[in-house]
Amino acid sequence: MAMSFHFHPLAASRVHFSPLPFAAAAGAPSPSSSVAIAAHHQHGRRRFSAIVATAAAASAATTEFDFKAYMGERAVAVNRALDAAVPAGEPPAALHDAMRYALLAGGKRVRPALCLAACAVVGGPEPWAMPAAAAVEMVHTMSLVHDDLPCMDDDDLRRGKPTCHVVYGEPIAVLAGDALLSLSFHHMASVGSYPPDVDPEKHPARVVRAIGELARCIGSEGLVAGQLKKCSTCPLQVVDLEMTGTSETVPLERLEYIHLHKTAALLEASVVIGAIIGGGTDEQIERLRKYARSIGLLFQVVDDILDVTKSSEELGKTAGKDLASDKTTYPKLLGLEKSREFAEELLSDAVEQLACFDKEKAAPLLHLANYIAHRQN
Amino acid sequence: MALSSLFIILPVPKVPYSNYSRRLLTARASSDAPAASASFDLRRYWTSLIADVESELDAAMPMQPPESIHSAMRYAVLPSAGKEGAAKRAPPVLCVAACELLGAPRAAALPAAAALEMLHAASLVHDDLPCFDAAPTRRGRPSTHAAYGTDMAVLAGDALFPLAYTHVISHTPCPDPVPHAVLLRVLAELARAVGSTGMAAGQFLDLAGATALGEAEVMQVLTKKFGEMAECSAACGAMLGGAGPDEEAALRRYGRTIGVLYELVDDIRSASGNGKMRSNASVLRSLGMDRALGIVEELKAQAKTEADRFSDKYGDRVLPLYSFVDYAVERGFELQDAAATL
Repeated sequence: MAMSFHFHPLAASRVHFSPLPFAAAAGAPSPSSSVAIAAHHQHGRRRFSAIVATAAAASAATTEFDFKAYMGERAVAVNRALDAAVPAGEPPAALHDAMRYALLAGGKRVRPALCLAACAVVGGPEPWAMPAAAAVEMVHTMSLVHDDLPCMDDDDLRRGKPTCHVVYGEPIAVLAGDALLSLSFHHMASVGSYPPDVDPEKHPARVVRAIGELARCIGSEGLVAGQLKKCSTCPLQVVDLEMTGTSETVPLERLEYIHLHKTAALLEASVVIGAIIGGGTDEQIERLRKYARSIGLLFQVVDDILDVTKSSEELGKTAGKDLASDKTTYPKLLGLEKSREFAEELLSDAVEQLACFDKEKAAPLLHLANYIAHRQN
Repeated sequence: MALSSLFIILPVPKVPYSNYSRRLLTARASSDAPAASASFDLRRYWTSLIADVESELDAAMPMQPPESIHSAMRYAVLPSAGKEGAAKRAPPVLCVAACELLGAPRAAALPAAAALEMLHAASLVHDDLPCFDAAPTRRGRPSTHAAYGTDMAVLAGDALFPLAYTHVISHTPCPDPVPHAVLLRVLAELARAVGSTGMAAGQFLDLAGATALGEAEVMQVLTKKFGEMAECSAACGAMLGGAGPDEEAALRRYGRTIGVLYELVDDIRSASGNGKMRSNASVLRSLGMDRALGIVEELKAQAKTEADRFSDKYGDRVLPLYSFVDYAVERGFELQDAAATL
C-alpha cells in the first residue's frame, strides 16, 4: 500500500518542521524541579535532536508542499471562525469573556486542520467543514479548561498564560467549559454556520451523522473516559494509573486505553467528521478513522518522549512532569529506544491508510502525521 | 420569526397587585378552565409519561466499562427516589405534550425528552459543585459530587452533555417522520438552551448575585435559568411534531412562561413554608410577596392565552397544556408515589 506512495515510512517520516510561527510563545514556565530532571535526561535529549537534525537535512528537498504556510493559513481562518462564533456582544459579558480567553489563546489548531484536510481529501470544499473544525477546537478547549481545574490537574499555567480558573474563578471556568461544549454542538447544528453552496439534499443527513460521531468520541466512551485516570474515586479497574505508584506493573494495554481515549478520540472525531461533511464514502471514512487512531496514539507517544528529552523552555510547559508525578509513560514502560520504534510504526500505519487517496490531496494529512511525529514541543 | 422569538424577554407585568393574595395559590380549579377539563386527568397522563421517560433513560445509560463514570452518570439522572421523592420530569413531559398536541406520535419526542433530562441533570451536577452552590444533597440524597467526588462529578456532567446529543440522533425516528433538517434544528435548540445565552447565563447571573438587585434582574435569572429550558422543551416537541412557524412560536412563549411560573411558585411555596426549602428564596426578598403573587397571576394568564391559540384546531389535545398551567400554580397532587413505584 505504502509503495504506491513511493514512500518509505522510516526515512520519509524523519522530516523536521520548525516550530510554527503561530504556536504559543514559550511563555514563562515555572522553573520548579524541571531543571534537575532535564539535566538528568541530557543524554537522551542530545541523541533525539541529532536524529531530527539529520532527518531535516535529508527531507528538505523531497517535498514541495509548504506545510508551514498551509498550517498558518488554516490557523488564521480557524481563529477567525472561532472569534465570530462566540456571541461576544451578548450578556453575560464575563462568561463570554472567559470563553474567549480560553478559546482564542492561540495554539497550533492541529485538530481543526485535520478536520479541514479530511474534508478536502475526500473531495469536499474546505469551507463546508469549517463549522466542524471550529467545533472540535471548542471541545478541545473545554477539555483543557476543565482539566486545569483545582479538582482535576490543578494547573495554573496553560500555553504560558494563567489558566481560565485563575483569571475568572473556578465556577466561571466550569460554566465557560460547559458553555463551550454547548456552543460546539450549536455551531455545528446551525444551518447559518455553513456556506450557501452545501448540497441541500445530502448536507443535513451528513451533519447529523457528524454530530453523532463528535458526541460519541468525546463522551463517556471517548475523551471523558481518558480523563478518568485522574479521578480520586475511580476504582483500580480499567484506567486508573496514577494511584498505583507501581507504574512498572501497568500493562501496555492500559496505557494505550487511556491515550486512545484521552487524545486519539478527539483527533478521530476531527478527521471523521471532516470526511463525513466532505461527502466521503464509508470506506474512505473508515480508512481515515484508522489514520486518526494511529496519529492519536502517536501524538501521545511523542508527548511522552518529549517530556523526558526536552527542557521546559523548549516545551513551553513544565518538562519532566510525568516523571515527577510518577505517571506511567511509554519511555518508562518500553524504554526510550523502543518508544521511538513504536512511534515510527504508528506513523507508517497512518501513512499506509492514505495510499488510496489522491496524492496531492492527501499531502496535508501526510504532513500532519509527520508533524505530529516530529514536533519539538 | 422563529428566530426572533428566541430573544423574547418576558414582559414584566404592570398590573396593580395590591388585590392579589396568597389565596390565589391555594384556590382550586380556576373558573376559566375549559369545560372538558373534567375528562382529562393530568396526574394519569403525567404518570404514564414518567414511566416512558424513565425507561427511555434507563436504556440510554447502560452500565458498561468504565463503570465508575457510568455509575455516576446514572446516579445523576435516574431517580431511585431519595427521601424527597423522584424527579417530576417536567421538561420531558412538556416536550411530549407539545409533540402530541400536534398529533405526532409520542415516539418522535421521547428521545429528545430523555435528552432534556440528561442536559438538565448535567447542569445540576455542576451547579451543586463545591465551587458553586456547594449543595451536599439533591432530592434528599447526597449530590453527585458528595457521592462520587468532585472530579468525577465534573466528568460525569461533561459526559452527559454529549450523551444527550448521541441519544437524540440514534433514537429519533429519522428521516421518517422526523426529517434530518428538523433533527438538526432540535439539536441546535438543545445546545442553545444550556449554552452561554441560556441556562449557563442564568447560572452565571445567579452566581453573581443578580437576584438581590431588583425585579428586572430577578425575572432575568428566572427566565434564563428555568424559562429557557422549558421553552426548549416545548420548542423541541413542536418541531418534532411538525409545527408550523406560528405554532412553534406560540409553544415557545408558552414554554418559557410556564418555566418561570413553575419556579416562581416553588419559591413562593418555600417562602411560605408549604414547600421544600430552596437556596434561592432571595427571589422573594427582592420581589416582595405581593408582587410575586401578582406576577404569578400574569404569567398564568399569559400561558393560558398561548394555549388557547390551539384549542380551535386541536380540541381536547390542548388540555394537557392547559392543565399544566393550573398545576404549576396549585400543585394539586403529588407525583412522588407514582414515580417511586417505577
